[in-house]
Parts: sequence; structure tokens; C-alpha cells
Amino acid sequence: MFKLKHLLIAASLPALLLTQQVIAAETGSALKNDSIRAEPFTDAKLAGNITRGDSVEILKKQGAWLQIKTKKSTGWVRILSVKRGTTSASNQSAGVLALASGRAGTGQVVSTTGIRGLSEEELKAAKFNEAEVKAMEGYTISADQGRQFANKGNLKTIAFSNLSAVKGEAQ
Amino acid sequence: MNTSISILTHKKLFISALLASLLGSISLHSAAFDFQGALKDAAEKQIGLKPESSVTENKDSTKTNTAATQEAKPAFNWKNPSKEEEIALGREITGNLLGAAPLVKDAALQKYVNSVGRWVASQSERPDLPWHFGVIDSNDLNAFAAPGGYVVLTKGLYLKLTNEAQLAGVLGHEIGHVVKKHQLKVLQKQQLLNLGASFLSDKLSKDNALASKAIGTGAEISARSLDKSAEYEADRLGLSYATRAGYEPFGLADVLQTLGQTSKDDSSVALLFKTHPHPDERLSALDEAVGNKLDNVKNGKTLENRFYKLKP
Repeated sequence: MFKLKHLLIAASLPALLLTQQVIAAETGSALKNDSIRAEPFTDAKLAGNITRGDSVEILKKQGAWLQIKTKKSTGWVRILSVKRGTTSASNQSAGVLALASGRAGTGQVVSTTGIRGLSEEELKAAKFNEAEVKAMEGYTISADQGRQFANKGNLKTIAFSNLSAVKGEAQ
Repeated sequence: MNTSISILTHKKLFISALLASLLGSISLHSAAFDFQGALKDAAEKQIGLKPESSVTENKDSTKTNTAATQEAKPAFNWKNPSKEEEIALGREITGNLLGAAPLVKDAALQKYVNSVGRWVASQSERPDLPWHFGVIDSNDLNAFAAPGGYVVLTKGLYLKLTNEAQLAGVLGHEIGHVVKKHQLKVLQKQQLLNLGASFLSDKLSKDNALASKAIGTGAEISARSLDKSAEYEADRLGLSYATRAGYEPFGLADVLQTLGQTSKDDSSVALLFKTHPHPDERLSALDEAVGNKLDNVKNGKTLENRFYKLKP
């Protein structure tokens, strides 16, 4: 049974990969005017431009860069220059979410089992819960335990200064 | 201002002032948070005093040495709170939040989130705080920080995450709020304003007029957000801490991308969108701050394989 399952998974892998390639043609829009580079680094050859609001096709991600395709050109921009997704996709997911939280249509909570919102009103009506704070504090991890956890994941600290606000913006 | 601060030594006024402050301005990670009934209990606990006993003490037992009692229980130092006071305040706020939505009953999840959070917090400027993290049972998409190192995110937001770097980025943002004392500063400001108002209007007033006044306008004030600049600063710090911790630097940006794709009409993000700049603006601000600084940061981990999978 176990082997069969594995076989099935193995058999479906190529299909899955194929599907992912198709899905990888993700769309997005430019968050700002930016240069498109031929390679994923700052001083690479200019390959074109994007204007804020332009829709782009996202081909792949590499480090701090995204490879994108516009109507005119293909090349690389920094990840934060592009907003991923489209409006229609977001509306769809919103619909699913609204349904899942039991809030579709009326704006009323239709189901109360295991589904909770956290609206202003609910927050305002909240009462202090000592047992829950105690429980939360019970899960506290020491700095040493945190380091061990990081080691297990092969996480290595690097030197990186806190990002500061750009000029003109309040600190 | 020193004179008005000294009013704090008067316990009864202090209770009113504390109540007024909490009711008037609870900004839990800018989320509107108003304690109402629970607030009174919290305030009493905060200073280790019940109102009945204090009334009795002040009105009927004038013979007792009140000065000595006051010294035994020093007032909360709003002007320059100690670390202990900061933690005590954060604990009260978190307790109220947990009253609205309890922890998800999944010890493995809570331990995992504490492990990631603790490691990220260790890269911050306040590694010495007793950091506590929790996932609460709410389908809303939000996260909260309270003074002293209490950080909470909703199950709804957790379910949107797909790897540990994203979790590290979200927790890093909240850790940034705590490190910069954003919430504490809002409370302090409100408290000092309230004290000033009470002093100017009627310094001899011994009733709860101030508190009731604050209650009357509480909802309005409590809907207030943190400054936009505080949110942008927390984003920059969150990214910086997660990057230093060895994570892929764009975890937080990934989450902002996801949030940006959520419709504004979706009630699960109503409070988040009300209290924060739109994700697109946050991405743009982050982009400006990042510039080319991440071009040479490589080998950051996403660790999706050990990301704790939570069932919806």
C-alpha cells in the first residue's frame, strides 16, 4: 500500500511539474517606474523600462530579483518593484475567504464553530484572561533554545545594518 | 509637568487616570482596543489595589498613614516606565486580547512560533526581554504587539504563510514595534495628556469625571492607528532582523504581497487595513529603504520544509 502510494506520487510528479510551469506564468503590476535589466544585477545592460501600473508577466525569482516579461521586453527588476497578482484573482480569493469565515452575504456570522473574527467590537468587549496569558508565557523559549533551533535549520546570522528611512521620511 | 506627575502618588486619582488612559487610547498594534469592563480589573491589578478598599482607605481611614502606604506601592512611572512596568502593561493588554480570542490549542504550533520569534528577537536591539509569542484562534488576518515583548498573530494570518522566512518577517515587524516602544509611547502620550487635562480643569476633583469623559469618547480615540511612519519603521526593522537571523530577506514582502491581493471588502482584513497603510504603499516604502542593499545578501533560508503546517 505504501509502495503504491509512492508510485502514484512518482507517476504524478511530471504532471505536477508541468502544471507548476504553467502556473508560474504569474501576473503582476509595476509598483514604480523602473529599468529592466538584461541580467539580475544593478549594472547589467538596460533591457527596457516599466512604468508604474504596467501589467507584467512574472517568469521567475532569483535572489532579490524577478524576471519579468512586458509587452515590449523581457528582463530583470528588483522584487519590490512589482506587485504580484491581479484584481480578478484577489476578488476570487476574497469570495472564498468570506465564505470560509461564515460572513458571506449578510455580514453576519452564520457559523460559530471554530470560526472567529477579531473586529473592533469584539476587541472592545474582551475580558482579561489570566489562564491564557499564563499558557502563552508557558511556551516561552530561552535565547539559548532559540539558537539551537536556528542551528537545526542551518540558519546563520549575517551582518546587516537596520534599514533606515529614506531622506525626507519621518523616522 | 512635574506637578501633574506628582498627582500620580494619589492613588485614587491614579486609578482614574490609568482608566482614562487605557480606555482612551488603547492602541494594540494600532488595533482599536478598548477594555471597558475588563479594563477596570486590569487597572486594579496593575497597581495591586481594589477600588473599594482604596475608597475606604481614603474616605474612612484618614487616620492611617497613607503616605507610607503610597510609598509601599509606588505609582506607575508613566514618564519613564521601567522594563518591569513595561512588561506588566504589555501583559495586561495581551490578557485582554486573549480574552477576545484564545490561543490555538496546539502546543507544537505555539512552541514553533516561539522558537522562530525568539531567534528573530535575539537579532534585535532588545534581546534581553522575555519574548512571548502566540497564535490566536481568529480567522482575521492580523498581528499584534504589546509592550515588553508580547507578540500575537492570528490563525488566519498564519494560514496565509507558506514558509518560515515569512513567519520570521511578520514576527520581526511586531518585534520592531516592541523595540521602538511604539505602543508604549502612544499610551504614555495619552496618559500625560489626560493628567494635564485633569490638572487644568479641576485639580481638586475626586470623582471619576475624567474617566467617564474618556469612556464617552473612548471608541473614537481607540480606533486610532499608530503613525504610518511607525508601521514603515517596523517593516524596515522586521526585514532587517529576519535577514540578520539568516532568513531569506523577502519573507515580510511576500506576506505584504499576499495581503495586497486580499480584497478591501473582505472583513478578515478590515481592521488590519484600517490601522495600517495599504500593503502596496508598504511595499513601495520598503523598496525605497532597501534600494540595492539586498543585492549581495545570499543564502538566506526559507525553510518551508520545517514550516509547521496548521490545519485550517
